[in-house]
Amino acid sequence: MSAAAIRRRPDVALAALAAVVLVIGAVGTDGFLTSANFRAILASVGILGIVAVGMTMITISGNLFSLSLGVTVTVASMTFLAWLDLGVVPAIVLSVALGAAVCGLQGLIVAVLGANPIVVTIGFGALQLAAAAKFAGGEAVYPDGGGFGWLASTAGGIPVSVFVLLGLVVALDAWLRLSRAGRELYLAGENRLAARAAALRVSASTVVAFALAGACAGVAGVLLGAANKNAALVGGGDQYTFNAIAVVLVGGVAVTGGHGVTARTVLGALFIAAISDMLLLRGYSSGIQTLVAGVFVLLAIVVMQLRKLSAR
Amino acid sequence: MSALRHASERLRRGGDLVPVLTFLLMAACFYAVPSLEGKDVEWSSGYAAMQTVAAYGPLALGIGLGMVAGVFDLSVLGMFALGGMLAVKTGGDSPALGVLVAAVAGLLAGCAQGTLVSRLKLNSMSVSLGGYLIMLGLSRAIGADQSVPYANVNVGIDLDKPILEVFSWHSLIVLACFALLGLLLRYTRIGRDIRAVGGDERASRVAGVRVGVVTAGVFAASGALAGVAGALNSYSLASAIPDPGFAPLVFAATAALIGGVAFSGGRGSALGIALGALSLALLQAMFGILASPEWVSQAVTGALLVVAAVAAAPRIADHVASLRARWAREPGSLVSNERSEHAVGS
Repeated sequence: MSAAAIRRRPDVALAALAAVVLVIGAVGTDGFLTSANFRAILASVGILGIVAVGMTMITISGNLFSLSLGVTVTVASMTFLAWLDLGVVPAIVLSVALGAAVCGLQGLIVAVLGANPIVVTIGFGALQLAAAAKFAGGEAVYPDGGGFGWLASTAGGIPVSVFVLLGLVVALDAWLRLSRAGRELYLAGENRLAARAAALRVSASTVVAFALAGACAGVAGVLLGAANKNAALVGGGDQYTFNAIAVVLVGGVAVTGGHGVTARTVLGALFIAAISDMLLLRGYSSGIQTLVAGVFVLLAIVVMQLRKLSAR
Repeated sequence: MSALRHASERLRRGGDLVPVLTFLLMAACFYAVPSLEGKDVEWSSGYAAMQTVAAYGPLALGIGLGMVAGVFDLSVLGMFALGGMLAVKTGGDSPALGVLVAAVAGLLAGCAQGTLVSRLKLNSMSVSLGGYLIMLGLSRAIGADQSVPYANVNVGIDLDKPILEVFSWHSLIVLACFALLGLLLRYTRIGRDIRAVGGDERASRVAGVRVGVVTAGVFAASGALAGVAGALNSYSLASAIPDPGFAPLVFAATAALIGGVAFSGGRGSALGIALGALSLALLQAMFGILASPEWVSQAVTGALLVVAAVAAAPRIADHVASLRARWAREPGSLVSNERSEHAVGS
């Protein structure tokens, strides 16, 4: 591919590069091209993908990122296990609702008061960690009841979390494309002033985007708690936050808002997971996997920007 | 008296009034609240607060400096980890060499990110997230996900030996960094350029400010500060931690914001950031004296951050102004405003 062609369609060039990396890696890595390994990759995409799809909503709405969505995941995994004595379904519903409420409140502060989303989400991260530490007394939480094994089970070798992710992507994508509120979310993210001038519900869009992100984090937390059968505050879920942002960026969602497709975010997650898996099979440490993810984040945002600049 | 008025006027213009008041409030709380609970405030608690400033202050300065220039450098968190790792690995015989390696690594990493941001007009947070992941990955790979001990234990002991009850070489070095950058920001053209770029990038470009150089320089400075902070911190702990978690970033961002730095850029001073860091450190030390569980300090820090974000929100000023306007138009009635607006419209 010539330099001019790369400059004309850098996104295609990136996709081609990604494909080449994947194919060379797949052929050259022992044990990559096995069905067991593909299932392992899918399994690692499930929960992270759900968080990343939630993060995508916030980014599309033009509010950059939440820097504490991972904390919400951790807190939801704790509340799910602790509330199991109420029954599995109430525990799921309450945990997801709590995630939606906590993040929706952040969206409300951001939208109505015009506060900076990064600062507000960092602050709410500390508040959620504090509340969870008080609630759990610094101990790990263990399930207070049973009957949730199906959440951590597999169907046809594929974990339930992957099916949940697929369902979420289909539902959210349909909502974004077909509903009036979904269209408004894109427009509010693309140009807030214009959207406000056109009497679109900009503030409501932001609140809905944050609440949806919180609900996704809640769902991810429930699945995480069910898979681990315990939940603790160690690390506070920061890695979910940062990995979800990385996946959103690699998936080509514009940071400036107004653009992005949830399905592409999932492709980003699959790509990062496949690369990490390759590195793992070749015996590299998880530190190197993080490093490589960082390199791909930089590559992706540079390419996206080149495309935008060349489109002008 | 006029000198006092002059000083207060300068504080207000410089935006330092809020951090000064916050600091005085925090200092009063630090002294008074434990006594109410029947606990003594000893010098050692002041020392603990200064050590917190020593550990995380440079990160607050780096993030704050970036915010003044209108960028947000998430990667300080990764450089903090990597700086510690590099210093422990290279500073075995000569601690100064370790600090130098960490500082140069931070400088280069920051310079690269800043150049990317300014050349391609990229969002600073996305770029520095990539930078953060790369540096964190390097740090974890070098340490093989384990903390790496620093054999030269005496360095940390000397670095943290109390001086004049509350200070130590560690905190004095950090305070010197604050003083140096403070002078630079206030009295040199570089400082004015940084504020100009943060306030209005396009206008400052037109006015002849070399925006690319300023952005790269600010990222380089915050990278170097984070590297030095990581190096000194690993000497103090006599080991390097591969992943320090999210807490240093929370401290740094909160300190910068209560230090009067505007997230929208263009406003802020090193003195304000120092006061912000000190206020937060005193608050944490106070909870230490009270022997409160950690979540209390965490909750108060989080609440402070949200309050600072809300107070700095542009729409708050609009809301207040429109309330005032309504009040002026129709004193005593805020509710019947809709009618009067229609009247104006017709």
